[in-house]
Amino acid sequence: MTTLIAIILIFAFSMLFTAALRASGTGPSTYPQKRPILGGSDPETHAWQRFHVRYYTMTLLFVAFEMEMMFMYPWAVVFVEEGPKALAEMGMFLVILSVGIVYGWREGIFRWE
Amino acid sequence: MSWLARMAELAEVPVFVAFGEGAPADAASVLVKTPGLRVVETPRAAAVLLVVGTIPEALIPPLHRLHDQLPHPRASVLWHSRNELPGATRVEEIATIGAFLRVIHRDLLAGNLKTEPDILPDAPPNEWRGIGPHGQGGKGMMGGTPYGRTMAMTAADLRDGLELDAYTADFGPFLPMLPPGLVLTLTLQGDMIQKVAVAHPPFETQEKRGWVLLNLLGLPALAERMLRATNIGNATLKRLIRLSGAQAAIPEGLGRTHDGSDVRTRFDLLIGTSEPIFNLHVQQTGLDDLLIGLEWHEAMLVLNSFDNASLRAICANTSNPEPGAMAGGMDHGVHAGHMS
Repeated sequence: MTTLIAIILIFAFSMLFTAALRASGTGPSTYPQKRPILGGSDPETHAWQRFHVRYYTMTLLFVAFEMEMMFMYPWAVVFVEEGPKALAEMGMFLVILSVGIVYGWREGIFRWE
Repeated sequence: MSWLARMAELAEVPVFVAFGEGAPADAASVLVKTPGLRVVETPRAAAVLLVVGTIPEALIPPLHRLHDQLPHPRASVLWHSRNELPGATRVEEIATIGAFLRVIHRDLLAGNLKTEPDILPDAPPNEWRGIGPHGQGGKGMMGGTPYGRTMAMTAADLRDGLELDAYTADFGPFLPMLPPGLVLTLTLQGDMIQKVAVAHPPFETQEKRGWVLLNLLGLPALAERMLRATNIGNATLKRLIRLSGAQAAIPEGLGRTHDGSDVRTRFDLLIGTSEPIFNLHVQQTGLDDLLIGLEWHEAMLVLNSFDNASLRAICANTSNPEPGAMAGGMDHGVHAGHMS
């Protein structure tokens, strides 16, 4: 019963908040207001366009580093029990990962464009 | 007056400034020093449109578009201006501009001053039409003219010839990162400039744009301090700018002209950290030499690094391509970029 009352209260509050937001607004935008802001100029071409996300290789590398960090947290726990063996294993993992970074470096993925 | 309006009145007045011809050279400085005002970067964040100086007849349509982009409730104020704008209030005194804008803002919020209606009609620029019966189909990525504008056509990228959509549009004359009055027709691939033409040169002014460069480099506090400084020879300010590393953030050789100066050297001159050891010679330099191949932020640094007279000369040197050629196919010609 308490849960139901809570749900109804949350729903009522969100409806009230939405109504207040709508009431305080200024209504739908007019066509002049829908223009992209170009400092007074009027675009003749639609802004929907395809362009190349040239930094994507850098983002892939970022994801690789993220995964490395994800492995390191549980490894830190195992390291307490296993000692040097775990350290050697993590060392091998990092070396393999570093080869990827060096390859990426050679291919020029760190150049921002 | 509701309690909400009373609370809103305590906030700073968001002002969008449109500079025209004959604007006082220290207008930006006066506005920064005036308490209770906040100069905003976009008309959508403003409540008051402040027109400083006179906008020439050719640029009145852009002013009307700018006016209509302010959200309601809105007001416009003409300062040192001979223009006419429906519903606008006129003010001449520099000393009273702050108090004047605060009163206007308060009256707007209290409902004593009616919001200004749109000047332009509430209609799309063109009818939504295409080949098919529902406006679909045609040339371009999707065809038709959604919201009254045609879709971008493909063109080769200067960097590698990759054929994606080239976007051509006019930028200015009231874009805060461009010198006032300057209207550029740019063709962009992503944020890289492929073609440039000057549609309107910047207004003549004595204003120094060093503070704009600092703003563009992400140092707004130093930019404001520079505007507040009474003399350019403020030693503390110069030291702070040097310590901020702003100069190192500017790529070396960016925007190099035929006299050998680049954005770094011109930045030093503008903020006064170096003495003028040479005169700028821009007789043979055009904007097409300087901007093609640059990304947007680099291009803005280049444009704001020149003094007004040099930039006007550069605009005059710029060879404008045929109007139809701006939106057409790209050639794989000169990629000047950094003229080092």
